[in-house]
Amino acid sequence: MIKGISLFINTYKLNFKKNRIAELNLAVVVKLEPDLSAGSISYNPDGTLNRSKTKNTLGPHSKIATQAAFYAKVKYGAKICVGSMSGHAANNALQIAMETCDADVLHLYNDPSFAGADTIGTAEVLRKGVEKMEGTMEKKMDIVFSGHRATDGETGQTGPQIAWKLGLTFLGNVISYDVDLEKRTVTAKRLLILRGVPEIIQEIEAPLPVFIAIDPSYKYHFNTVSLRLSAEKYKKEAYEKAQNYQQYIHTFNREELGAEKTLIGLVGSPTIVYNVQRVPKGKAIRNAKVLDGSNPEHIRQTVTAIKEALSAMVIK
Amino acid sequence: MEKYDVAIIGGGSSGLAALKQLSALGKQAILLEAGSIIGSKSISGGILYSKKLKKGKVTNVEDLYENFLDDAPFERKITKYILHSTSKDKIFSMDLTAAHDYQANFGCSVLMNKLNSWFAKQATETSQKFGGGIIPGVHVKSITWNDKGRAIIHTDEIDAFEVKAIIAADGVNSEVAEMVGARSKFTSEQLYQGVKVLIKLPEKIINERFGITSSEGAAHLFAGDITLNHIGGGFLYTNHDTLSIGAVYHFDSLLKNPVEPYTLIDTLLRNPMVSELIKDTVPITKILDKTLSQEEQLKTRFDIAKLIKDWNDIRGKYLTSACEDPDSVKAKLDSIEEQMTQKFGITFGINHVESEYGAKLIPDGKRCRMEKPFFKNILFVGDAAGRGIFIGPRIEGLNVGIDDGARAAIAVARALDKDDFSESYLGEYYSQLIDESPYTTDMKQIDKDYLKIFLDAAKDVPSDIIGSGYGPILKLMSSNTFRGLVIKFANILGYDKLLPLIETENTYVKVPIQLAERLGKITSTSYHPKDTSIGERISKLSYNDDHLSHIKLLDTNNEFMKKIVVLCPAKCYAEEGEKIILQHEGCLDCGTCSQKTEWRHPRGEKGIHYKYG
Repeated sequence: MIKGISLFINTYKLNFKKNRIAELNLAVVVKLEPDLSAGSISYNPDGTLNRSKTKNTLGPHSKIATQAAFYAKVKYGAKICVGSMSGHAANNALQIAMETCDADVLHLYNDPSFAGADTIGTAEVLRKGVEKMEGTMEKKMDIVFSGHRATDGETGQTGPQIAWKLGLTFLGNVISYDVDLEKRTVTAKRLLILRGVPEIIQEIEAPLPVFIAIDPSYKYHFNTVSLRLSAEKYKKEAYEKAQNYQQYIHTFNREELGAEKTLIGLVGSPTIVYNVQRVPKGKAIRNAKVLDGSNPEHIRQTVTAIKEALSAMVIK
Repeated sequence: MEKYDVAIIGGGSSGLAALKQLSALGKQAILLEAGSIIGSKSISGGILYSKKLKKGKVTNVEDLYENFLDDAPFERKITKYILHSTSKDKIFSMDLTAAHDYQANFGCSVLMNKLNSWFAKQATETSQKFGGGIIPGVHVKSITWNDKGRAIIHTDEIDAFEVKAIIAADGVNSEVAEMVGARSKFTSEQLYQGVKVLIKLPEKIINERFGITSSEGAAHLFAGDITLNHIGGGFLYTNHDTLSIGAVYHFDSLLKNPVEPYTLIDTLLRNPMVSELIKDTVPITKILDKTLSQEEQLKTRFDIAKLIKDWNDIRGKYLTSACEDPDSVKAKLDSIEEQMTQKFGITFGINHVESEYGAKLIPDGKRCRMEKPFFKNILFVGDAAGRGIFIGPRIEGLNVGIDDGARAAIAVARALDKDDFSESYLGEYYSQLIDESPYTTDMKQIDKDYLKIFLDAAKDVPSDIIGSGYGPILKLMSSNTFRGLVIKFANILGYDKLLPLIETENTYVKVPIQLAERLGKITSTSYHPKDTSIGERISKLSYNDDHLSHIKLLDTNNEFMKKIVVLCPAKCYAEEGEKIILQHEGCLDCGTCSQKTEWRHPRGEKGIHYKYG
């Protein structure tokens, strides 16, 4: 009997906790990218990537963004919506994303008019997408996450552009974050890298809502047994949900998103790629000589060479 | 500080059994595992037995996991058990299937990564109902006690927390046992070192080569010249579509005559019988045309990689019993082979395909069982308590650990009911349960029926081979009337006094060589495997390297460490002048060097990550 009551109280506590904190709404924007691992990639005869034969997967940076969202799911019981713009109806990126962060809703933005978009054309679709998510979840987003960059684009522009379009505070290169639910603020650590200066970690506090572009070095950390246990529970739930991920997908075309034709796709993209050039190979200026470490004569030569080099150096 | 009822340290089959049993009894328990996922640190030979023992009841794997036989990803039920004596190309084989079947419901080959994650899934489902569960990626650093006698667990990864009782299932190199002072490190006389390679081979080829069906399996043991004069032997177990091949030798015999563990494996692989069993067809690629542009070379390399991957997948599919439409799969396979040869000049040759190399220390249960398997409110189970069974070809460890785990869970549940975790209430009771275990009593008494199986198997062996020492005793034992008497006398002497007589080079090396030479059949093979270098083996493994070493050298200039240079299965040690140096990257966390070093398990998620185990 006593056990029964205590079990009841525990369940009640858990529910209470969840109800109190289910106020955090998160969006993650992700990208389906070519799987660059050996055996999955395929090339055209001219040496360019054969996109139809190459397998696709959730981009590695997008995956880190979904992991960041999972942190809030476990710690604050957040609701997560993952959205992606893609020409593929069967989008396994959304499946992987769902399995990674235990998403509640999946959005796929799919329309022929989206094709040929550069970063700003893409940002417009995703901005509309985030607004659509807010409609679906009947609540404004508190944090929107994106990856640092795409592996097949490498610009790292889309995230900041969505933030700008949505009017959100942009936090880039975030390596860890926490939310104060009562004050409704986020504190985040950002990794700054400047040439010639050791790593700088900047800690900032910002009022919600914010847009976070997550740093590639981000790794969530749960520091108590209870958080670890609930992380394991969410992981299990996520795995099961992801098996039937298709039933969680809402697909939207341009009209449904209410995106303006002139701002999206090829038309909405000011970038024109008129030529792609290889990075020219630098001329080797070193005069390398192969030496055998077991040969004493070679070692002597090396020592002499090092001595000469050192004596020529001017140390200020 | 967070508080929980029970913590189980170590997510091997024994710790998981404790978790499953505790949750079946309605108790809250959390299990801490250092690996990033359950099973990633586990490695075994391995055969998992389910026993029906005359002397008492044990908790078998299918008692804990009711759906084990229907759903668990074990490999094959072993239906053939054969001991081979080897001398060069001559092999004398003795069928010991009767010994394998003796008091057994079944014995199946297993790969621990897959199996332990299945156990974990089952245990998680029940443990979550009571607020417990499994936490991977956490390494226990120390244990302290508060003034109420509750244990506080400190880890590298999460905040300290309080528990009422602990079940230590952290394996042969139990840090828990060492840090609290429950026992000292096992010595070389108490240990075996085992190394194993996993060899890929399609299911249908295994069936054909071993004369079995897909629901059957074979186990082969080896003694004789393949031991390179050590006490122990080799094994080969059939899995579903792989072979587990390993070498297990007594640590003190390795110290006496140090030989690289991988050399011992290579020696076994070079035995003509083994070579013939492991060979397979493999694609051989041509050296790339270096005159092509770098882009072109890269593209070709990618195309070849993709084709070979497809070829492996489709061939594997074709050579399984589950292949539904063999004709169309064969047609696909043929077309890929044609592309491979015509487009890229790939040819097909014979080789063997190693997919994983691993090593582990194994406690010799005859010599290292913890007399007192508890300390304060900590109970020790399985390998951590030194409880493997090695009596001749009777090799059991997993089943013993599972039974121990269940017994520890019963003792802890009883203590939780009374809220008494004292040594006298919890520890002594667990100790009593362990003493009652047939796995304990079996190690104290020689079973005359079990012995008879060997005598029957060896009845045609001329007594002069066995040697003048054993001859008369064997003769006496072959007679039904005298066997009882001899065994009674042997039991009075006890295993302690008998072991030095039985476990000798004579038994494992000289007699088998004699048997093979005098009675063996010549075995020939067309395939002579080239040795795989240790570098190649290590490069195939997955690691999450830690920049901090989990091993600290204490004395860099002693005889033991010089031998470790040879005996480390991952070749982490080297001699530099008079001194021994260590490079911890590539370490298999086996503990071979632990006796004379400051040795810890790597921090959570770090170190080796076995894919098969």
